[in-house]
Amino acid sequence: MKVMTEVKPVLRVENLTKRYGSKEVVKQASLTVNQGEIKVLIGPSGGGKSTLLQCINFLVIPDEGRIWLEDKEILHSQKKELYRYRQKVGMIFQDFNLFDHLTALRNVEIALLKVRKMSRNDARERAFAELERVGLKEHIQKYPAQLSGGQKQRVSIARALAMDPKVMLLDEPTSALDPELITEVLAVIRALGADGMTMVMATHQIGFASDLADEILFIEDGAIVEAGPPARILSQAECARTREFCSKLTGLYGEAR
Amino acid sequence: MNELTFIQQDVLPALMKGLKVSMLLILPSGLCGLVLGVLVGALRVYGSRWVIFLTNGYVAIFRGFPLVVQLFIWYFGLPHIGIYLTPFLASVLGFTLCSAAYHSEYVRGAFLSIKKGQRLAAQALGFTKLEMICTIILPQAFRRALPGCGNEVIYLIKYSSLAYMITCIELTGEGKVIASETFKYTEVFFIVGLIYLILTSVAAFLLRRLENGLRLPGFDHYNL
Repeated sequence: MKVMTEVKPVLRVENLTKRYGSKEVVKQASLTVNQGEIKVLIGPSGGGKSTLLQCINFLVIPDEGRIWLEDKEILHSQKKELYRYRQKVGMIFQDFNLFDHLTALRNVEIALLKVRKMSRNDARERAFAELERVGLKEHIQKYPAQLSGGQKQRVSIARALAMDPKVMLLDEPTSALDPELITEVLAVIRALGADGMTMVMATHQIGFASDLADEILFIEDGAIVEAGPPARILSQAECARTREFCSKLTGLYGEAR
Repeated sequence: MNELTFIQQDVLPALMKGLKVSMLLILPSGLCGLVLGVLVGALRVYGSRWVIFLTNGYVAIFRGFPLVVQLFIWYFGLPHIGIYLTPFLASVLGFTLCSAAYHSEYVRGAFLSIKKGQRLAAQALGFTKLEMICTIILPQAFRRALPGCGNEVIYLIKYSSLAYMITCIELTGEGKVIASETFKYTEVFFIVGLIYLILTSVAAFLLRRLENGLRLPGFDHYNL
């Protein structure tokens, strides 16, 4: 379905390693995400998917490895560079992490004002447009405590989109939602993909992943065990462990598209 | 009737004069103490290792030394190194520093109670540490700290009575002067106590008003 444009790497990660004590939670992970590509990380919980995603925007500082955003290597020790980089990398969390003391509108607006230093009017206009885009026009004045899980996750997507990210990292965006609410969030993510947003997403929604992903990466014990197009990974993976995991996931979530 | 005129003509005017001094002590000490306490509380959570060490040391000392001793040091001790403070200034300084040490503990607890996800979300959006603390963490933490900080303000109102120990004659000081002149300790100090009770009640009322005013959906769990 996607229009093929020239292949241009947006995000490149090389040999990323993170240790807690002697335990390696991410082992020598490398991946390249091209413009408009969607990579999906699957694998058992505790396998390092979240840590890998958090390492990519330095919410967790990796012990080894290098990261490039559009040919520019990011050095996390340079604070200014790091803050600029994070603005361009949108992050969606499993448990939403909306700012609890701010309305939906303020949640989207606050980074525009404080980080991007936009004018009050421009920020408000942009925040409103992003919330409208995720279908929350009627709820802009509500606080997180007054929103459903699906609505909260959509606000958090709007908040990330408002920053004009080059790439989005989604860390199990639907895992904290009940089945009815999953659909509304997946619809938003699907629309993003259709608009050509570059994404790296960890998820257990295997049906959704196989529809959307350009590549699926199977991660276990911190290592990328296998990677390939959905059709191959889901049905004829080389690694027995990947096959086993995928067949279980398909049994559980296969129908949720 | 004799008692009543004594109270009306001698006791109350003196106590009102003292009350004015007390208010002049409490208001700046309370305000500066709160501001400094929030600052110290933030530093104790988000500061570098050395800053945490230093601010923890400050809190240990100012919570550990009896307040009267602190006041004696500010008023009688500082002149030895060439710094002369008026009784009033020494009192405000002592109250502010002591109050801030206690506030910082309430604020620290409130900072620690804010979920890690709030910080992660702010960082992921590109907030600097300072922006994150000021715009995301502090507004939430302050709401949680308020009941505790209110407690400290109430306490400050009463320990302001220690100022008379370094000759800053405020409400308790005036009471003591009259009582020792007339030997009517019971009557005078009963009235002094009542005035403090009124002050703390008004403060408690205002603090509750502030708490309610700052209440937001999701932050009202402490008022079930």
